[in-house]
Amino acid sequence: MSEMWINMGPQHPMTHGLWNLRVRIDGELILDADPEMGYLHRGIEKISEDRHYNEVVTLMDRCCYVAGLAWEHLYVLASEKALHITPPERAEYIRMMCDEFQRIGSHIMWYAAFVQDIGLMSPFLYGMRDRDLVLDLFQSFSGARLTYEYMRVGGVRNDLPPTFTGHARKILDWLEQRFREYDQLCLGSAIFHKRCDNLGVLKANDCVTHGITGPMLRSAGVKRDLRKDRPYARYDAVDFDVAVADGADVTGRYLVRMEEMRQSIRILRQVVDWLEQHPGPVMADQLPRWLGAPYAPVGREGYLLKRNYAKGVGFSSVEEPHGEAQAYVVNEGSEHPYRVKFRSPVFANLAAVRQYLVGYRVADIPPILGSVDVCVGEVDR
Amino acid sequence: MQPDDLSRILAPKLGENLLVVEPFDGMAGRVRFRREGALELFRIVRDELTFTHLSMVGGIDWVDHREVFYVAWSDSVRQYVLLSTDVPATDAHLESATPVWPSANWHERETWELVDVTFDHHPDLRHLLTPDGYVFHPLLRSFKLHEPEELEVKSRHV
Repeated sequence: MSEMWINMGPQHPMTHGLWNLRVRIDGELILDADPEMGYLHRGIEKISEDRHYNEVVTLMDRCCYVAGLAWEHLYVLASEKALHITPPERAEYIRMMCDEFQRIGSHIMWYAAFVQDIGLMSPFLYGMRDRDLVLDLFQSFSGARLTYEYMRVGGVRNDLPPTFTGHARKILDWLEQRFREYDQLCLGSAIFHKRCDNLGVLKANDCVTHGITGPMLRSAGVKRDLRKDRPYARYDAVDFDVAVADGADVTGRYLVRMEEMRQSIRILRQVVDWLEQHPGPVMADQLPRWLGAPYAPVGREGYLLKRNYAKGVGFSSVEEPHGEAQAYVVNEGSEHPYRVKFRSPVFANLAAVRQYLVGYRVADIPPILGSVDVCVGEVDR
Repeated sequence: MQPDDLSRILAPKLGENLLVVEPFDGMAGRVRFRREGALELFRIVRDELTFTHLSMVGGIDWVDHREVFYVAWSDSVRQYVLLSTDVPATDAHLESATPVWPSANWHERETWELVDVTFDHHPDLRHLLTPDGYVFHPLLRSFKLHEPEELEVKSRHV
């Protein structure tokens, strides 16, 4: 047969976002792959240079639309270092709570889309239903279901409502039961194993060489999680295990994500208990007025205060649901960041697509790329 | 690992190409180097200092010069290191890190198109986020968001 290039995307059910996967095939065999990105490039790093520090938080929700709170956390951590601000302890616990619920929400979203890709229809509906419970919780304290704009440089926007702990515990109990059902639906299905076992294999060495992080790396047996290796917020104070698998294949990535959700529940139970017992401020005091405003910047008067600020550079890295995200914020003493640079985990995972796609068949592309958990918003930024 | 540990290993091998090793919050250190010693530094950092995982490459436009920085992670010491170098704005090019860290590929493509720093001997220096034929470099300070831009964009597929 003659070789040819085909385009899968930019509109294709497999892509889960706007990007184009060009593959060179010989019959059914994949010989080469070349992703084309940029369809969703909004220039978030450039827009940030013209924005007030807290206004950039708004962009972070748009950066990754399934894990907005994790990206907000990433950005405020780097900005706090660049601006020499320490958030109060309660704010750090609230951020951890946001991160872990967001991880559950993002992984359920991934589960729903992924199982649909491999031909199991009903788990999609179950997944979407259960994710809505997490969104309900987010709505109860941030007022939004997708673009939260909840975290601020120096803390979080507002404290949790009094009903929060009861609400959160109810959701955790419910989800714990559902995850057992998820596993029965997938691991108990012969279709699932036929389509996923030994597929898209990428061994640990190749993962490191190509900069792959997150569930893809842990599915290859590498026990690496920033929450353990380089704890941010108060992850050093909670007890949990790092989820690993040894298959390095699509099934392995499934197992890692499911175990991560169970570990998130374990973390959340500890965090919710802590939040119940320790009321306190959620915003750092002694902030310059333009930064400390709980909602939007305070206008002209606030901007006039800007010049007496120490310069600084902030770097942060966060174990986001997709992997290891990093931010680099340069503060040159004005109310706008001089330069903001983000490292998206999916960006690196997709850059290595040739490594785990070549040699498989065309029909294997949806499960393999489904297991990568592509979020184009954070790749293109 | 501390900045002193880094400079003890790097200084004898790099000589004048190593400028300074400074402390940096949350990292093993910030290594400033001359671009002539880039590849040699990357090799030593990967092989001898065990920073095998390159996480990020980025560029900053300081108007008269441009800074290129690299963030790498070591699994054995569980730390990051920041490598940074300056290139003049009129002659902004630098050796590519792809022979040492293949993961630099896309990051360098992005830095090239957005910050206008050319990476020599890069295997595949094409546009990544902006369309082919896009002549602007949006992350330069001279690129203003408020002014309308006029351009003609070629299709990628022609």
